[in-house]
Amino acid sequence: MDNSRKNLVNIFVPVLSILLSILIGMIIMAFLKANPVTAVKYLVIGAFGTKQNLGTTLTRATPLIFTALCACFAYRCGVFNLGGEGQFIMGSIAACFVSLKFGLTGIPAVIVALVCGTVAGGLWGAIPGVLKITRGQNEMIISIMFNYIATLLMGVVYTNWLREGSVPQTAQVPKESQLARIVPGIRVTWGFVIAIVIGLLIYYFLFWTSLGFKFRAVGLNQTASRFNGYPVRRYMLSAFIISGAVAGLGGAGELMGTQFRLINGFASGYGFDGVAMALIGQLNPIATMFVALFFAALRTGSTTMQAATGVPTSVSDIIQALVIVFTVAGMALTQLPEFSTFIGRFFGRKEAQAV
Amino acid sequence: MSELLRIENISKRFGSFYANKNINLTVEEGEIHTLLGENGAGKSTLMNILVGLYQPTDGKIFLKGEEVHLHSPNDAVSKGIGMVHQHFMLVDAMTVFENIILGDTNAKEIVIDREKRRAQIQELAQRYGFRIDLDKYITEISVGEQQRVEILKALYRGAQLLILDEPTAALTDIEVEGLYDVMHKLVEEGKSIIFISHKMREVMHVSDRITILRAGEAVATVKKDEVSAQELAAMMIGRDLAASSFEKVISGGSAVAELDHVSYNRNSKHYGLNDISMKIRSGEIVGIAGVDGNGQTQLAQVLTGVIAPEEGTISLGDSKILVYDPNNFILRRTAHVPEDRNLQGLVGDMSIADNLVLRRVETDKFSSLGGAFLKKGAILSYAKEMVEKYDIRSRSASQTVRSLSGGNQQKVILAREMEAEPDLLVVAHPTRGLDIGATRFIRQQMIDARDRGVGILLISADFDEVLELSDRILVLFEGQIMGEFPGENPPVDEISLAMTGR
Repeated sequence: MDNSRKNLVNIFVPVLSILLSILIGMIIMAFLKANPVTAVKYLVIGAFGTKQNLGTTLTRATPLIFTALCACFAYRCGVFNLGGEGQFIMGSIAACFVSLKFGLTGIPAVIVALVCGTVAGGLWGAIPGVLKITRGQNEMIISIMFNYIATLLMGVVYTNWLREGSVPQTAQVPKESQLARIVPGIRVTWGFVIAIVIGLLIYYFLFWTSLGFKFRAVGLNQTASRFNGYPVRRYMLSAFIISGAVAGLGGAGELMGTQFRLINGFASGYGFDGVAMALIGQLNPIATMFVALFFAALRTGSTTMQAATGVPTSVSDIIQALVIVFTVAGMALTQLPEFSTFIGRFFGRKEAQAV
Repeated sequence: MSELLRIENISKRFGSFYANKNINLTVEEGEIHTLLGENGAGKSTLMNILVGLYQPTDGKIFLKGEEVHLHSPNDAVSKGIGMVHQHFMLVDAMTVFENIILGDTNAKEIVIDREKRRAQIQELAQRYGFRIDLDKYITEISVGEQQRVEILKALYRGAQLLILDEPTAALTDIEVEGLYDVMHKLVEEGKSIIFISHKMREVMHVSDRITILRAGEAVATVKKDEVSAQELAAMMIGRDLAASSFEKVISGGSAVAELDHVSYNRNSKHYGLNDISMKIRSGEIVGIAGVDGNGQTQLAQVLTGVIAPEEGTISLGDSKILVYDPNNFILRRTAHVPEDRNLQGLVGDMSIADNLVLRRVETDKFSSLGGAFLKKGAILSYAKEMVEKYDIRSRSASQTVRSLSGGNQQKVILAREMEAEPDLLVVAHPTRGLDIGATRFIRQQMIDARDRGVGILLISADFDEVLELSDRILVLFEGQIMGEFPGENPPVDEISLAMTGR
């Protein structure tokens, strides 16, 4: 396939998947004796209808964008980092320590916390990376295991080291050290802007720099990259560290801008959500951000939908799951040779393949 | 002895290419019948027809005098044809017993009667003198034992005719002896064997009759006792020697690469190098002749830094190599056309343009600000220039290389490697699987490069190609150099004998 046609398919499949999923979601709503059109209307209103709702959607999208970019970058470079959640948590733990224990306040506290969070996430990502390139360990399993370690470590932090009072949770990040809101009165903070900037940077790095070019080549064919003289293992480790750093920055931002304290359930599920979103976004950083936004909108809007029409929020979970299923199935379908032939016929010209 | 299998005028055509042409062959009961031929002579195609994977374009197959049509592997199995593939078809995570009963289509029962089957298998194993622990996992047993499991599997399915595809390739010497014993036992019990090989020694040792395939045709069928190894080699490789269309040179240039007693994985006959010393001078093509899997891969890889020799040293130009890393070799002006285009040479999902600049994206020509900004326009226009220069047939330079034909993929690699202006070019199987046009183009490019002063190491399983292009010919067998021959008027008989280890 031509690159242009391939790109077309890459956009077409997720979009079609989303539409199909919403359609099935609406059928389920109808079975629940609700008016599907009304329900979807409230879903949209709940997500984007008012400034406050939009703010909530963007706030919820922010951590998802970070973990999705973490997965997206790693996969583009051929390392399967499933440890986004652990790296995210390590970032937030580091930020929590900085803001509560370092005696810094205000902007310096924010900056140092974000930097420390990034570093912590990067280091946490480096461990499975090092084990992979030096010992040949399976990075997927190691990085998943490190999610549990991070989660349990966070448990120690909020039940012991930084516990405040009788409830197992840490103290709150002081008001003056919190990430500022973009528009006063609306929840969304500069964390969202940072997420977008990171996404654009990743896109630029991957597709417009020579190093990004090489990272992608390694991601697509390690052997050929090695034969062509690339330091493949170094690149893979770097990819792990960078992707971990992105997640770590996200964790720090989430702590400083939205949650303000570590507590049981913090960041739960963000890691695998990110993986799914990166895959739906066809590993394109920009598309991935839109997917994260879409998922956040479904989650935010579903509350309003439930309140207004009685359709339970779990319908939105079903829609999210269906999007994943359809996209994965759709992409698998496009890999079939029959699909190429069909598309070729559809466009009225044969694949002019020289034999 | 009566006839078990008869093949009459079997042909198999792919497009306009005949992989098999009018092949006639008979196999008697209790006979070991060897199919001898080079890579690409059509042995595999013929066997795939016999096991029902391919349908012949033309011709008939008779089993015990009755015509049969083999539409699927199941057909073949049910008619008593069993195959042991060169690469075993076993499930590593299962036991020997499970592998043997796996996919047995004769089974009618819903719940597997393990005891009955175990008894049957054990009885079979006993009859043929196999000592195998049925409850071991495949990963726990040696390669030789795995092969016996494959044979047992075929016997359990009722095979009368066993096809062994290069069964000795993966075995140690002792295991090979064991295999011979098994084969003799099998024929004593009235089974027939088709033995596929290109190793003269074992062919002479084990066969009753030998059919020689060459370029898809059966050249001759001979009784072992009536033929010498030399005659066989000549039949296998021998051909009307067309004079090479290229002028041969004797280079007086300086050495661009020198191997000094290089060894790698010395104990492996097929994947190692054993004390290799050789020189490649500027402006000459050194051809490596030899049957595939005698260390050629390793030779190409030590000379391009992919693997490091365990003993000995390599020098490029005047300097000894200390760091074995592809990049170090590339910096010292070594270029590599690797044996597996798709795996080693190209990034299939990237475009032609991207693959052409793979090693040079960070140069000023293709990016500015020290690599921080790719000049995509420059990359594309360079790619267009290369597409033109190397006749890469494509719709556009931004087409993925995966969608190109093999010949055009090879041209992409060649363009990238040649444009790097190497001193040493290591080329492995440059025209494997390519059509005549692309083959001619690529050979001409190599000759032109030689005339520009590039030193070229040509590794090819295609003997014709080695003869056609080489200024000097070295024969590689089991990791050792068996001899050096001139490229001008090469002594074909001697070379072909050296290739078989004599």
